Amino acid sequence: MTYKYFLGCVIPGRLPYLEASARKTFEKLGMKVGDQANYSCCPDPTGAGQLDHLTWLALGARNLCLFEESNSNILSLCSGCTETLKAVKYSLEKDNKLKEEINSKLNSIGKKYKGNVEVKHFAQVLYENIDSIKKKVKKPLKDLKVASHPGCHYLRPSEIMQWDDPLVPKTLDELIEAIGADPVDYSLKIDCCGNPVEKSNKDISLLMLENKLKSMKDAGTDCIACVCPACYQQFEFNQKEVNKNSNTNYNFPVFYITELIALAFGMNAEEIGLKYHRVKTDEILQKIS
Amino acid sequence: MGTNKKSVMVIGGGIAGIQASLDLAEQGIEVKLIEKNACIGGRMAQLDKTFPTNDCSICILAPKLAECFRHPSIQLYTLSEVKDISGEAGNFKVKILKKARYVKEEECINCGTCIEKCPMRVDDEFDMLLRKRRAIYIDYVQGVPSIVTIDRDNCLFFTKGACRICEKVCEREAIDFEQQDEEVELNVGSIIVATGYDIFNPEYIETLGYGRFPNVVTALEFERLICASGPLGGHLLRPSDKAEPKKLAFINCVGSRDIKNNPYCSSCCCMYTTKEAMIAYEHDNELETSIFYIDLRAAGKGFRDYIERGHNEYAINYIKGKVAKILQDEANNPVIVYEDINTSKVKQIKFDLVILATSMVPKKDASKLSNILGVELDEYNFFKGGFYHPQKSSKEGIFLCGACREPMDIPNSVIDGSGAAAKAAEIVMRE
Amino acid sequence: MQMVNFDFKNEIIKEDFSLNYCYQCGTCSSICPVAFASEGEYNPRKIIEESLMGLKSLLIKEQKPNIWLCSTCQMCVEECPQEVFLTGIFESLKNKIVQTGEKYPEAFKVQAKAIIDNGVAISLSPPIIRRRKELKLPNVESADRIELKNLLKATNFEKKININGDR
Repeated sequence: MTYKYFLGCVIPGRLPYLEASARKTFEKLGMKVGDQANYSCCPDPTGAGQLDHLTWLALGARNLCLFEESNSNILSLCSGCTETLKAVKYSLEKDNKLKEEINSKLNSIGKKYKGNVEVKHFAQVLYENIDSIKKKVKKPLKDLKVASHPGCHYLRPSEIMQWDDPLVPKTLDELIEAIGADPVDYSLKIDCCGNPVEKSNKDISLLMLENKLKSMKDAGTDCIACVCPACYQQFEFNQKEVNKNSNTNYNFPVFYITELIALAFGMNAEEIGLKYHRVKTDEILQKIS
Repeated sequence: MGTNKKSVMVIGGGIAGIQASLDLAEQGIEVKLIEKNACIGGRMAQLDKTFPTNDCSICILAPKLAECFRHPSIQLYTLSEVKDISGEAGNFKVKILKKARYVKEEECINCGTCIEKCPMRVDDEFDMLLRKRRAIYIDYVQGVPSIVTIDRDNCLFFTKGACRICEKVCEREAIDFEQQDEEVELNVGSIIVATGYDIFNPEYIETLGYGRFPNVVTALEFERLICASGPLGGHLLRPSDKAEPKKLAFINCVGSRDIKNNPYCSSCCCMYTTKEAMIAYEHDNELETSIFYIDLRAAGKGFRDYIERGHNEYAINYIKGKVAKILQDEANNPVIVYEDINTSKVKQIKFDLVILATSMVPKKDASKLSNILGVELDEYNFFKGGFYHPQKSSKEGIFLCGACREPMDIPNSVIDGSGAAAKAAEIVMRE
Repeated sequence: MQMVNFDFKNEIIKEDFSLNYCYQCGTCSSICPVAFASEGEYNPRKIIEESLMGLKSLLIKEQKPNIWLCSTCQMCVEECPQEVFLTGIFESLKNKIVQTGEKYPEAFKVQAKAIIDNGVAISLSPPIIRRRKELKLPNVESADRIELKNLLKATNFEKKININGDR
């Protein structure tokens, strides 16, 4: 099975260092993942889809077509993109009339969606290769207490995602264990980080983030691991804002799970661009060296 | 080969099976009452009180248990399970596996000496694992037959070949380690299934914290916690720190009316949570109690009055709204997240103890028994009764009663037991 | 005054029949992290209640509660004991708000505009392009604008979402 990356908008356009860690991790695992040209915004399940469902389906289906045409499956680096692409595929599979309607739109650009493309979240592919990850670990991240944040679109709606348990997820914590770190069990693990709410009310979005951070802190967390660029941005960029609003002092380094895996594989901070992190990662690097 | 065909086998010695047995026996019909446990009594024996009269549960049940034991037409087979059945209505041949008790039934007088001296401590299933019993034990004080049993899986003699203390201390020489499981064959005219129900495991609803938070318990655990013969001697304390709880919350419909778990209504919970709140209040009238509900389904006679009494005389605070999320603070206090529907505000309230009204679910081994008997189960795995004759199973000569066919309370189980008995009698009286 | 409007209710039900199954238990508002943080200012049960009564003006014009606060985390959908597809219903309500020309948050417009203009929600800025080079990452080829424009025309996107506020 061949994969090509679906990078989405946020990672290549704002967080390229996360992309670097992902590419290097998959390389190290011996997986050849190609690149696909010409795809657009997935589109954002929390954004454009809320404005016009039909357009969301059409743009999503066009993206699926591109991969279908090149006979490759999708390896998505973003949870939002994964949900959109999976949900579009699911909707069109379930409803033939809808598929015809979307295909009539795609016809205007000379495309046709057939339904022969598999969509996978990168963390799912990592989890499916967990044994080879274990074998490749050079520097186990011993005693590092990592709070995983699965985020919403990695898990739910479970009927569409068909992956981890939507309420008791375990895949990320097992990956964290696989690289020798300690997963942290905290009470609001499955809750939303608040990122999508920022579009309509920043204060509530920050309160949601604060609830998460408090729950992580209470459980004794060293750092946070995410698998979605939206969640990543919320944790990485907005901890300061929470501190300003609520007079707190949260300062958790935030990692993409591929960054932690890359470190455990023995790659250095420079290679994967850890210097671009807003919340400095030095203490963590010291702890694991 | 067994006795005459004019007999009925009743499977399950809970309140429904007991009622069916007594009704049949009173008509002069021989009854073979098969019970899997060492004592009959079933779920009702575990309850503290019954609604809507708040009578002591065991006080109502005990005379019926004694009657079952004494009645010349009822033969009890405890520690027994149905293994095989053949024949047809009017002439069933049944194979029963009667497990060894390792205690001579006719010798034991339940003096308790052996229990006192037994060195093993085992989780007590009758008390919902809330205390320990010994490896030689009786299910509960009023248990019938009133004789002890050796728990083979945990007895030191059977597991390690050592001990035999019970044998030494028993003045009546009632212990018999040589006893063997035996197969009994019975010939009966009809069969009544009265195997009861299990409790939904609320760990499946992870966000409620059961299993993670010590002060979130199930309603049946609460019955034992508050019962005078329970592990706390009737003095209610919460599990985490053995403190007296002052604020209780009951959550109805845990697992019931829920398409993802059990789509049906368990029919008893609205009433028993009110009952449990009343009992708790009688223990301590400074208690503040809240019951969270979807709708109050108080459909039985006197049930609505009962709930009104709960509100007026027992200070129960009924809150409309299902609770989906429980958190816990540093002091192990459960914190309920709920919506106050009057104001649409989403609030958090801290309680000392939260009780989950878990749904009634089919017995784990229902499908095994249904295969042996050759009767159908319904979509949920309850035994399937006829639409117009709910006590008739899918096979002639086999009848159903009590919560093995659908969730029901004690009065309805009694009615159901009598109904099934009447149907079963029709067959054996025919010839 | 809000009027019960069953025509509007039926309009919503036509798009998602599961609305019918709601028995207003409040599971959704108890589990919702936005309701939790906002203490019920955002309240999914209330939106469903209003939908059941077809309270069109409250839902579409006044937008009380503010439906745009939904984070689409799908917790309500996972936990609903009646399998009501809440987020699907909310999405079609939001589509109605947008497409009847009522107000909606600016950030959504900004994203839509970026997609119309560039095909992506976030375009690559010069410093990011530099950073990509530093990290030895391949170039990102952007989507064919003309193709996208034609597709968006086919779905009538620009007109539907009233992007220039000309309605």
